[in-house]
Amino acid sequence: MSELVLKTENMSKTYTLGKRNVQALSNLNLQVKRGEFIAIMGPSGSGKTTLLNVLGCIDKPTSGKVLLDNIDVSEMPESQLYKLRRNKIGFVFQTFNLLPYLNARENVELPMENDGKSKSQRSTRAKELLAMVGLSGREEHRPQRLSAGEQQRVAIARALANDPAIILADEPTGNLDSKNKQEIVKLLANLNLNHGTTIIVVTHDGQVAAHTERLLLLSDGKITKEKQGLHLARKLICPYCGGKLHAANEICSTCGKTAITKKKPLTAKKGDAVNIASTNSGGD
Amino acid sequence: MGIVNRAFRNISRRKTRALLVVIALGFSMAIMISIPAGIAANQQATQNLTSNLSGTITQTEASINQTLTQIDCSLTPSFEGFGFSPGNFTPGQFGGGGNFNFTPGQFGGGGGRIPGEFGGGAFGGGGSIPMNESVYTDINSSLSGVAAVAPILQVSEGHNVTTTMYGRSFTRQVADYIIEGVPLDSSLIDNYPVLPSNITAGRNLQAGDSGVVLLSENNSAYFGAGVGGTITILGQNFEVVGIHGTSGASDRTTLYMNLSDAQTLTNNTGYITSLEVFADNSGDTTSVASAISALHTELDVVTAQQRLSQLQQVQASYTSELQTAQSTMNQTQNQAFEEIVVAVAATSLIVLFVMLYTVRERTKEIGTLKAIGFSNWNVMSQFMLEGILLSLMAGAVGVAIGTIAAPFLSSILLPTVSPFGNSGFRGTFTAPTSSASAVVVDPQLMLIAFGASILLGTLGSLYPAWRASRTRPAEAMRYE
Repeated sequence: MSELVLKTENMSKTYTLGKRNVQALSNLNLQVKRGEFIAIMGPSGSGKTTLLNVLGCIDKPTSGKVLLDNIDVSEMPESQLYKLRRNKIGFVFQTFNLLPYLNARENVELPMENDGKSKSQRSTRAKELLAMVGLSGREEHRPQRLSAGEQQRVAIARALANDPAIILADEPTGNLDSKNKQEIVKLLANLNLNHGTTIIVVTHDGQVAAHTERLLLLSDGKITKEKQGLHLARKLICPYCGGKLHAANEICSTCGKTAITKKKPLTAKKGDAVNIASTNSGGD
Repeated sequence: MGIVNRAFRNISRRKTRALLVVIALGFSMAIMISIPAGIAANQQATQNLTSNLSGTITQTEASINQTLTQIDCSLTPSFEGFGFSPGNFTPGQFGGGGNFNFTPGQFGGGGGRIPGEFGGGAFGGGGSIPMNESVYTDINSSLSGVAAVAPILQVSEGHNVTTTMYGRSFTRQVADYIIEGVPLDSSLIDNYPVLPSNITAGRNLQAGDSGVVLLSENNSAYFGAGVGGTITILGQNFEVVGIHGTSGASDRTTLYMNLSDAQTLTNNTGYITSLEVFADNSGDTTSVASAISALHTELDVVTAQQRLSQLQQVQASYTSELQTAQSTMNQTQNQAFEEIVVAVAATSLIVLFVMLYTVRERTKEIGTLKAIGFSNWNVMSQFMLEGILLSLMAGAVGVAIGTIAAPFLSSILLPTVSPFGNSGFRGTFTAPTSSASAVVVDPQLMLIAFGASILLGTLGSLYPAWRASRTRPAEAMRYE
């Protein structure tokens, strides 16, 4: 589990605002191992979103390198970058960014459209993913008929569509009430825990950060603090019901289940999908 | 969920906007269809008029040339004002089609005997004033250089039409048919063109024929009788032996019979209305004509050469009018072309602005699509397709409107075109034959307009789609 998914080397990003240059990120060195769940926190304007955009190949660093699966993407032209974004990265946005004129299934199918999958393959996969995020039976609903939490779950399913190496979530709970926030956080935590999905979350919320393994504090474009071992706290929360786990044997005091800590890769074989959200929260 | 499906959904999501584009583009296409259709109809009409007139002129010329030795003599009409005035019509007013009709007068002066002659005695413009047959004997016996003389009696039969204007009644006679009596003398009819040469059914009149008539096609329809039938004229029965084709405006309603039959029938025994004098050779016609004039000063004497030169005057005058009309039309055509260019330019701008607005409005969507792995080309083709689909619909609407409303639209846009081609020349003449040509849209024109619509839609959405594809995802995501 020491394989690096993402690595930055002395990465800087400078914006030009009129005549002024704004240093959004400066000489950032970051290493993300496969299967990690990382939170990035920091005050407004500290460069969190910029960092996520650069890592997600939708923005380019001014200097330094970004290595995604050992490929240097910092100099890559747009004509190749879009394929990386499609196949290696899954985005989750604060405002969900679902296409309002497409239903849930069609939204999830979007990233697969230009990836050579047949129509039926896309449809099957989308249904599996929607089931995995707890939206079985709501596949044909358009976003306006879904709650905010459900919309974000559709967005997460969409991010997972092409089985990406890493999920980048920018304030995924920023537009949600506390109940929905809990569900989304648990959904992400369980994806990481049960399927080994590498996730980086930018957040303002300490509760969200508490579910992650590693916390990076960003200030003025630099990582000023790094906390490890948050996962210990996370592991004390049952992934199924949200109850407390016994620290020693990881058995839930509420539902009695044993939390699975052994990570396995995310595959979408039929029957393999775990309906995390519904087992976790008891439905919406 | 394919790209086409998405394009359709986006169009139907913004119905008002789509409708706006469809109407604007459609209207432009309708203009594009109707103007050329109107112009084509105009050109067709002019062409019809020209070919009709030049046909008649050629025919008349040929018949005059055939009878270069012929001199027409009749009593000078005692009234004036029947003169043919070729310059009377206003160029630029002719449109769909129209009729030419030469006011009878000068040309009919000689009695209108020659097939194809303009006007003629048909409506009594001249040559129908009876004169004593003794004139014939005088000229036939006393003049040198005369090969033959044909006395002709021409009587117009018709009905009276009374119109009331300003409280007063006016009665005029409308001719139904014209009886022409020709001496059926074999030395005359075999050698000189006193009878029609164009027999379409039955036979021509022969020497010694009596109690029989040769009808024109018009007469045949009027009397409802064909070859072998019997018709009643002024209470007397005649057998139809043949039908003659029309070789000019003058003989369209003329029926031919024996001179003495005609004289008895119309109570004109001893009277004729004109003389056709044939000189020995064409070089003599002028001297023979002056000799006739000297002998009978009351006669109006017209030689073939005079008729020919009058005809040439008409032709020249018509040609110059036609040129004026053509240049007016060319001007109109240029103006119309400008109208089309303006309409097309305005339309592509509308498409451009609407698509630009759409792209701007959907910036965030574009950013999302790019973030989840859409290539520049994927985004661009999405927006292009929407523009093209819109223009396809607009093209269909435009072609439909244009085809249905072409006559009206072209008459609005081209003020000199009349919708159904009936108004014709608003001048003093009507054509020898009617040549109405309505505004009809060529299928090729529809295809062109449809193609142009798609082209405009494509061009109009090219830049906005390109802009969309170049949108940087990071910036698009920040856009609210």
